[in-house]
Amino acid sequence: MSVEQERNLIKCTHVYKSFQTPTGEHPVVNDFNLQAKENEFLVLFGPGQCGKTTLINLIAGLDNATSGAIEINGNKVKGPSPERGVVFQDISLFPWLTTMGNVEYGPKMAGMSKKSRREKAHHYINLVGLQGFENSFPSQLSGGMKQRVGIARAYCIEPRVMLMDEPFGALDAQTRYLMQEELQRIWQAEKRTIVFVTNNIEEALYLADRIIVLSNCPATVKKEYVIDLPRPRKYVSPEFLSLRKEITSIINKYVVSEAENE
Amino acid sequence: MKKKFIPQNIISVLCGIASIFAFVIFWFIYTNGSTLGKMIPRPDVVIISLFKDIFNPIGQHTLLIHVCYSMYRVLVGYVIGSIVGIILGLAMGWSKVVEAIFSPLFRIIRPIPPIAWIPISIIWLGLGENAKIFLIFLASFSNVTLNAWTGAKNVDPKLIGASQMLGARKSQIFFTIVLPASIPQIFAGLQVALSSCWGTILAAEMVRSSEGLGWIIVTGGNNNDMKQILVGIVTIGIVGFILAVIMRKLEAVLCRWNKSGT
Repeated sequence: MSVEQERNLIKCTHVYKSFQTPTGEHPVVNDFNLQAKENEFLVLFGPGQCGKTTLINLIAGLDNATSGAIEINGNKVKGPSPERGVVFQDISLFPWLTTMGNVEYGPKMAGMSKKSRREKAHHYINLVGLQGFENSFPSQLSGGMKQRVGIARAYCIEPRVMLMDEPFGALDAQTRYLMQEELQRIWQAEKRTIVFVTNNIEEALYLADRIIVLSNCPATVKKEYVIDLPRPRKYVSPEFLSLRKEITSIINKYVVSEAENE
Repeated sequence: MKKKFIPQNIISVLCGIASIFAFVIFWFIYTNGSTLGKMIPRPDVVIISLFKDIFNPIGQHTLLIHVCYSMYRVLVGYVIGSIVGIILGLAMGWSKVVEAIFSPLFRIIRPIPPIAWIPISIIWLGLGENAKIFLIFLASFSNVTLNAWTGAKNVDPKLIGASQMLGARKSQIFFTIVLPASIPQIFAGLQVALSSCWGTILAAEMVRSSEGLGWIIVTGGNNNDMKQILVGIVTIGIVGFILAVIMRKLEAVLCRWNKSGT
């Protein structure tokens, strides 16, 4: 078991990705290296348009790297697979399916019997706190509730790796705090390896075991922080605030020096 | 929430009845005892003869039998044309190869109005039902194909990505994502197709037929019988209205998810 936990579940080595544009080749990810352990909560933190979504798509298998290797549990990523669950920035729920229909979609595709997939879906709907909304369509749910459905849907295929691409980016500040707390609770209840992308340092500090700071386009690893504050964390505890101050000042330095270099 | 909408519904129904009533009153005033009245019968005369025609035959059949003849031709051609159209359209939207094969041919055939095929259909299929059903088939086929095609082609690629991440195989993606996502678009096509079919059958019956609503109008014209022409026109309007209402109800049931919040 301890061996299992120490093994690197996600391994990215020298990942490079570029897009062809009319003005030539445009690198979005450059020499990106990453290791994530089993059940680790990893946060990719970086400014605006720095290729974070591209990174998530690469790990998800929705897009192919130009060069370099991405391995999950020792297997090379070749395409999308239910061993990796994705919570998308814009949620992408299936609008014609109810909460239940969305959550049970994955097990249904895998051919699970109606009874056991319903049971499973109920479990995850309860986990994200949506009991009573099983028969609502996405258009009837609020932004925060939709994102809960998105999380339950990704959890319901019981993936080894959860990829979350700024899932709370579109929510208002209050709902965002609430969802961060909820996600922490959900993750502690059902541990998974999570790769979480954000551009919000508070969110990163609240959730992460480890924060990877990315440079702006092309994305590459700038710095890494291990956050060992005890959970559940508090946004206003002295340790939290001093860590936040420290990291923010270092990041600002990077941003300033980067701007000067340009 | 539902209760709130009922008064508004009543108001719009009352407005609709009032406007129809006002139209009939104007019709009555202008045709009652005037010279115009010698050319166009009063509304009460038309309505009374419409009810009489339900029991008294026009030509060989009563009015309802004529309606049934027209409806039968429309429904057979419409159902066959729609099924073929949905299958071909979805296949064209889903597969690049099918699209490449059929789209040039389809683009040429689509702009030809169905009534342009009347002479050919008579030469090929004779004067019987087959020629008319063939025309109706064409009228529904091109509308439905076009809509199913665009519907399947414009499915949000993020939804397809989400279903891939949840483990859906290619055929599953087609039946669980592409098909439901295209249904609103297909319904729009079915509605346009139905009114197009209804128009086409009248034209076909006017050209060559011994029963049906188109025949009623044409023989009315030949015998200089304004009453009969107007009975035909009013019946066409009423039947078309009823068909449209049925389609809308059907859409409301099948696409109930496709509404912004309640």
